[in-house]
Amino acid sequence: MSAATSPAFVDQVLALMKSRRVCRVFTDEPVSDEHLRTLTEAARWATSGGNRHLHKFLVVRDPETLRRVRSVSPGMQVLPPAMIVILTDLEVAARESLQMDHDHANWMDVGTAAMNMMNMAHALGIGTCPVTSFSRSGAAFMLGLPPHLIPEWILIAGHPKSQERVLRADAPKPVRARDLTYWERVGQHEPQPR
Amino acid sequence: MSTSEPPIGPMVLTEEQAFDLLAFLFSSAEICLVEPTYYGTFRLIDAASRLMGYMLEHDPERSAQFVRHFKEEVDTKKGWMMWDREGYYDFLRSAPAVVAAELKRMEADRQLTAEPSKS
Repeated sequence: MSAATSPAFVDQVLALMKSRRVCRVFTDEPVSDEHLRTLTEAARWATSGGNRHLHKFLVVRDPETLRRVRSVSPGMQVLPPAMIVILTDLEVAARESLQMDHDHANWMDVGTAAMNMMNMAHALGIGTCPVTSFSRSGAAFMLGLPPHLIPEWILIAGHPKSQERVLRADAPKPVRARDLTYWERVGQHEPQPR
Repeated sequence: MSTSEPPIGPMVLTEEQAFDLLAFLFSSAEICLVEPTYYGTFRLIDAASRLMGYMLEHDPERSAQFVRHFKEEVDTKKGWMMWDREGYYDFLRSAPAVVAAELKRMEADRQLTAEPSKS
């Protein structure tokens, strides 16, 4: 059995995934360039439909640019120390003859890169929050993007500050994997003996 | 030509803060076209929270205490949209009355300070 499939390693990976939370409060401490580079490395190794590598990753640390992008990003609840913007490269899309209005692989690739970055950030002790609610045209302008690069998704990152989640006593309980999973047929939440 | 009276009370927003809020509101309007409808309520509440944050930076004499406490409540309960939808909707239904009560209190205070005692 290789190290990558040892039970201890599997437990570590699952524990990492289960303990990650969206972080909406950061300290003022900057995220190091080394950590940001590691996040883009994680994004690069995400699955990429057809090995096309349709996306670019724009790292932003400049406080003024961050502030301006936040002003057109209602989903960005706080001003972060850093962010990474996933951009769709329309020149690559044209070269690959992609039908952007119909090809869901574009979104799949954004998602896989995003998840790799969020899990890697958690492993590094960096808090992250995905931002999908922003004005594409506003963000493109604030970032000075050329027309062939479209901002699709933003990851804000920083050193997490503890945050207490206050909920009502009768608030719904967290969803479980079992609730979302069917075995063999819809409605069967547990596997039957084979 | 406007015939409105000059504003009463201190200004509680700089031009830069006002434009930040404008950018937020126009961006929210754009993304409301594609997001779930109830997100629109969240954008409005979030804009209100940002407005209260800007107000607090100017320490409004008459309303600072109310704004500080209410912003805290808003920032806690707006998050319920993701974890406790019914609790969030209950908050939306109750919030206007809270603001209305503060408006009424401020108006009463203003009248008390503006009018000499008739007794």
